[in-house]
Amino acid sequence: MGVFYHIGQYCLLMVRVFKKPEKNSIYLNQLVLEIEKLGINSVGIVAVISIFMGGIITLQLTYNMVSPLMPNYIIGLGNRDTLMLEFSSTVLSLMLAGKVGSHIASEIGSMRVTEQIDSMEIMGVNSASYLILPKIIAVVFMSPLLFIISVACGLVGGLITGPLSGVVTVATYVNGMTTQFNPFYAYFSIIKTLVFGFLIATVPAYLGYYVQGGALEVGRASTKSVVNTSVLILFFDLVLTQLLFK
Amino acid sequence: MIEIKNVCKSFEGRDVLKDISTVFEKGKTNLIIGQSGSGKTVLLKSIVGLIEIDCGEILFDGRDNRRMSFKEQKLLRQEIGMVFQNGALFDSLTVEENVRFPMDMFTNMTMKEKVSRLNFCLDRVNIKASNNLYPSEISGGMRKRVAIARAIALNPKYLFCDEPNSGLDPVTSILIDALIKEITSEFDITTVINTHDMNSVMEIGDKILFISEGKKCWEGNNTQIFNTRNRKLNAFVFASPFSKKFREIRQMEDDE
Repeated sequence: MGVFYHIGQYCLLMVRVFKKPEKNSIYLNQLVLEIEKLGINSVGIVAVISIFMGGIITLQLTYNMVSPLMPNYIIGLGNRDTLMLEFSSTVLSLMLAGKVGSHIASEIGSMRVTEQIDSMEIMGVNSASYLILPKIIAVVFMSPLLFIISVACGLVGGLITGPLSGVVTVATYVNGMTTQFNPFYAYFSIIKTLVFGFLIATVPAYLGYYVQGGALEVGRASTKSVVNTSVLILFFDLVLTQLLFK
Repeated sequence: MIEIKNVCKSFEGRDVLKDISTVFEKGKTNLIIGQSGSGKTVLLKSIVGLIEIDCGEILFDGRDNRRMSFKEQKLLRQEIGMVFQNGALFDSLTVEENVRFPMDMFTNMTMKEKVSRLNFCLDRVNIKASNNLYPSEISGGMRKRVAIARAIALNPKYLFCDEPNSGLDPVTSILIDALIKEITSEFDITTVINTHDMNSVMEIGDKILFISEGKKCWEGNNTQIFNTRNRKLNAFVFASPFSKKFREIRQMEDDE
């Protein structure tokens, strides 16, 4: 029963979130701030993680897959497809659920327990829309961009690690990277990142918005938001993979 | 004027407000007093619409909040200013942005007009040279004053304050009380204050509503409160040794 209660409450919150904004210019300012806070500020960590993961995937492919029966360009190809299909969309979204999601839950939760949300409501501001809508747009807009940055950095990571460790030449790696490219993989992953972006923004926002109590409950909501968003991301990954690859 | 008629509210079967009726008059500072847990915060939040009441009516100059359309409710809320216990200033905005927030949100004023109104509000609460500071960088007393400035930014008809003196030293408390009193008479607004500070009761209590266990126990003004025979009220008002001494001196003066 608890699950249905939360689904209902979440849907009602979304109805409030997508109501017409009081003043577009104010929301636009908020959107720019959120894009910076939630998206641009994540570029650094996304790039670092992707470079390392690209390098690690390259080494793992080399040590576990390359044999006299397999062409060496499989390393570049495997790295590209792994990054595109799962790492840069799903794993990165799980990481963003931790970084961005917990930030959203604790920010909105703190505003709730310190009566800042009540104060907005008394002024006549639709607090749900003012606080959550710019975050949703910012994360959904930035997720595909972060995905592209992640793929690019991961490929560069492989390009650095492979030739440096002597397991593959630059030419073979680049050849693998550009061989048998299927554009559908990119569309599929961008669709996934859009869905995951929506989850990363809305689930923590929901948990933060309805938090009751004090600092302890805000902390709990923040942890809960990471766990719930991660599970939902994996669930939707399964559903989307089945639906789009069928 | 705010009329409260037979208001009741319960949470999970526990009655928190029991058939409360009163009138808060315009241009006066109306105080709701009572012990912690007596229901005064629930009453205040019910009046401003943060808590939905189970029965009764709350009329703002004859307009029933519950019978209004969503649009009318929104317009009514723009006539309300509220000062929360901890100020409830927006952490991510500076002092200036906090006070300007309602103007940015609901008016089509030019930047010049907004700045002029902002300066007026900040001057009115004696905040100087702090426009670019964040709430975390100012003192508790200043935070309350900024919250008052934000509450009066749109010229409200109704001002609500939830324990405006909590956590403040006696001198700052008196200043905040005086400020609320001045603003109330200057702008002719209906002010409702939730407090258990006896200094406030003595200084600014034009009308006092005493609540005990969710029921209205007594109402009157700051002169009548010291002569009442209501036992519950006396136990509340004269709880501290200081106020007991004050009562003894008063009685001695009366006997003489």
